[in-house]
Amino acid sequence: MKHETIETNAGWLIALTLVVISIGGLVEIVPLYFIDSTVETVKVAGKDVVRPYTPLELRGRDIYQREGCYVCHSQMIRPFRDEALRYGHYSLAAESQFDHPFQWGSKRTGPDLARVGKKYSNQWHTQHLIAPRSVVPESIMPNYPWLMNKSLSYKDIGNRMRALKMVGVPYAETQAEYDANVKRYGKEVADQLDINKAEENLLAQAKNGNYDGDISSISEMDALVAYLQVLGTMVDFKQFEDGHFAEFR
Amino acid sequence: MANVTTQSPEQYNYDIVRLFTIMTVVWGVLGMLVGVYIASELAWPFLNFDNPAITFGRLRPVHTTLVIFGFGGSALFATSYYVVQRTCQTRLWGEGLAKFTFLGWNGAVGLAAVSYMMGYTQAREYAEMVWPIDLLIAVTWVAYLVIYVMTLRKRSQPHIYVANWFFIAFILATAILHIFNNMAVPVSLFSLESYSLHAGVQDAMTQWWYGHNAVGFFLTAAFLGMMYYFVPKQAGRPVYSYRLSIIHFWALIFLYMWVGAHHLHWTALPDWTSTLAATFSILLLLPSWGGMINGIMTLSGAWDRLRNDPVIRFLIVSLSFYGMSTFEGPLMSLKSVNALSHYTDWTIGHVHSGALGWVAMISMGSLYHLVPRLWETKMYSDRLINIHFWLATIGIVLYISAMWVAGIGQGLMLRAFDEYGNLAYTFIETVSFLHAPYVVRTIGGVFFVTGMILMAYNVYMTIRKGKAEAAVLEAKLAAKLANA
Amino acid sequence: MFEWFKWFTSMENTKPFALVLFFVTFIGIVLYVYSNKQRGDRFESYKNIPFNDDEGEQSTHPEEVNK
Repeated sequence: MKHETIETNAGWLIALTLVVISIGGLVEIVPLYFIDSTVETVKVAGKDVVRPYTPLELRGRDIYQREGCYVCHSQMIRPFRDEALRYGHYSLAAESQFDHPFQWGSKRTGPDLARVGKKYSNQWHTQHLIAPRSVVPESIMPNYPWLMNKSLSYKDIGNRMRALKMVGVPYAETQAEYDANVKRYGKEVADQLDINKAEENLLAQAKNGNYDGDISSISEMDALVAYLQVLGTMVDFKQFEDGHFAEFR
Repeated sequence: MANVTTQSPEQYNYDIVRLFTIMTVVWGVLGMLVGVYIASELAWPFLNFDNPAITFGRLRPVHTTLVIFGFGGSALFATSYYVVQRTCQTRLWGEGLAKFTFLGWNGAVGLAAVSYMMGYTQAREYAEMVWPIDLLIAVTWVAYLVIYVMTLRKRSQPHIYVANWFFIAFILATAILHIFNNMAVPVSLFSLESYSLHAGVQDAMTQWWYGHNAVGFFLTAAFLGMMYYFVPKQAGRPVYSYRLSIIHFWALIFLYMWVGAHHLHWTALPDWTSTLAATFSILLLLPSWGGMINGIMTLSGAWDRLRNDPVIRFLIVSLSFYGMSTFEGPLMSLKSVNALSHYTDWTIGHVHSGALGWVAMISMGSLYHLVPRLWETKMYSDRLINIHFWLATIGIVLYISAMWVAGIGQGLMLRAFDEYGNLAYTFIETVSFLHAPYVVRTIGGVFFVTGMILMAYNVYMTIRKGKAEAAVLEAKLAAKLANA
Repeated sequence: MFEWFKWFTSMENTKPFALVLFFVTFIGIVLYVYSNKQRGDRFESYKNIPFNDDEGEQSTHPEEVNK
């Protein structure tokens, strides 16, 4: 076939262009779904330790996305000495395997949050979100006082979990799915992943956790702090030898 | 100057080009104003005013959407509809469908901006639009493709001019990227929220495959199409080498699709992917510079035009910035450099040397060429074009320099250790360091947007002038007819 | 079915593969475009397409306007 045919025929031009622009994406993206070591399995005592979010954490994550936190905060620690000292162990692929969408971010106007969980108290987070400069004077983060005043909407939590289930997150609706989760994560976690008990679980976690210091109502602050406090805490790196995860890089 | 080409309004569909041209200017002014505002928020955080709708996190996607899809997208619709008609010497196919693309595209951009401020987002960079808006964009885009291909098919020229190749590649690639990156399951049929189909590593790869090719095809290939028409036309001489443009095209569209993963160096993405992407990023330098040289050499032998034609100045400086940022890009895709530059403002500076220097400057130059032809008059003021050029250039230089200082400075501070092996700086110390560069960046932005506002005024006055002249002419004609 | 994709995951394969693939295609296009004088002249004639419909158009170029 002559090049002249291509350049004088719109159909050929389109077909060849499609082929040429498809190669790169196919070669780089498709294998990520088929190579098992892309996402490592992290087990302690035979149970998966990286679990899907609880209903309250999930709602917190929705708020994290809504406010555009990902614009200034990454959730991806790189394997460098300074990042290890500042943020902790580098992030594993397994740790974001239930993140729809991923929130690795691209810019650190503020610090990385991949392992912010349990580093600060609930009170600190609440105060910091309401008025960042009251705890960190040089901060340039916006204030988020409305999170404290807005009560959390959770009526559609079942729909949210069902949507996530459709894209592959192991939330359970049937007994069989529940049993599978017990086997995979243990009973305590499996209970949290039960869609039928979603609302009940959400209310209980908010009440017991008392994340925003106000027990009388469940605010958006409760959910967001619950989410922040779980970030990066699922894998306990003391349980693994140094360098255990290096082979997956 | 009475050579009124009355046949041209019928020969070509200029109405749709005029509409998109006006929206280019409108979105440009709005999007850049938002940009200056969010830059100010980073320098002076009280500007967030505790108002959810205008916090940095919600306004930033408003800025990126208005400038990339509003300003850049409208400029591409306007110029591609113009170029395809002029180089095929045929009228645009599909009157109503073209109007639909106008409404669909601008509707999507407007709705997206409002929805982000209300807190509705997919939380994917440059693809924040919620799923109903994504569907609207998909339908609009298919209509765009159909119009473009049908117009090509009824051309009176046997050869398809190279500018159209770039536009076609841009339309096809954008369609593929948009569809695969936005696959998601809505919470319910009546909910604007959704969860993406992919997760974690695969999602990151898909997103940056999309993200970088939004740069490669939306912000580069398409604007190269613009370059291959408007630079020769404004210079009054054909492109330096047509053969080079053929090589430029195939090499560029092939290589771009591989490089997205260089945004994910040192992350949980497997090493082989990002290394492959970095390799291709280096190779990409060749076609990028080939294209730049082709554009600049078009002027060879007529360099004096740089002195007395402000429009040519816009076009040539945009090519220089294109050359600069396509050199900086491969540099930043090297793993060692990326370790420092990633997550810092160096990336932001790099994006803007491309977006302001290349994309905005070539669009402005092309529009200054286009507007007088669309409204059949001369530009209202050549002096204002010249002032705009200098404001824009100074603005870009301030912006990029500030971001180099901010990014490299912060990168070095974050990896510094003291003599005992402890971190030399806390994170918040680097934030304090960023204040001065952030102020300079804001000033650079003010320069740039001031130029854009001058352009809006200049275009508005030109349109008014064009309409007045047309009215006078019509009156004369009517008088003649009445006398006869 | 997608087992063969695994071949790409090894750096020793991918780097030379990418190089050869790109280079051969690139050289092919370059040879095609530059090897034949006649073909070259034909290509270069296309660069005048944007100027084919200039009749009756007024120039905004300052020099020409001032004439």
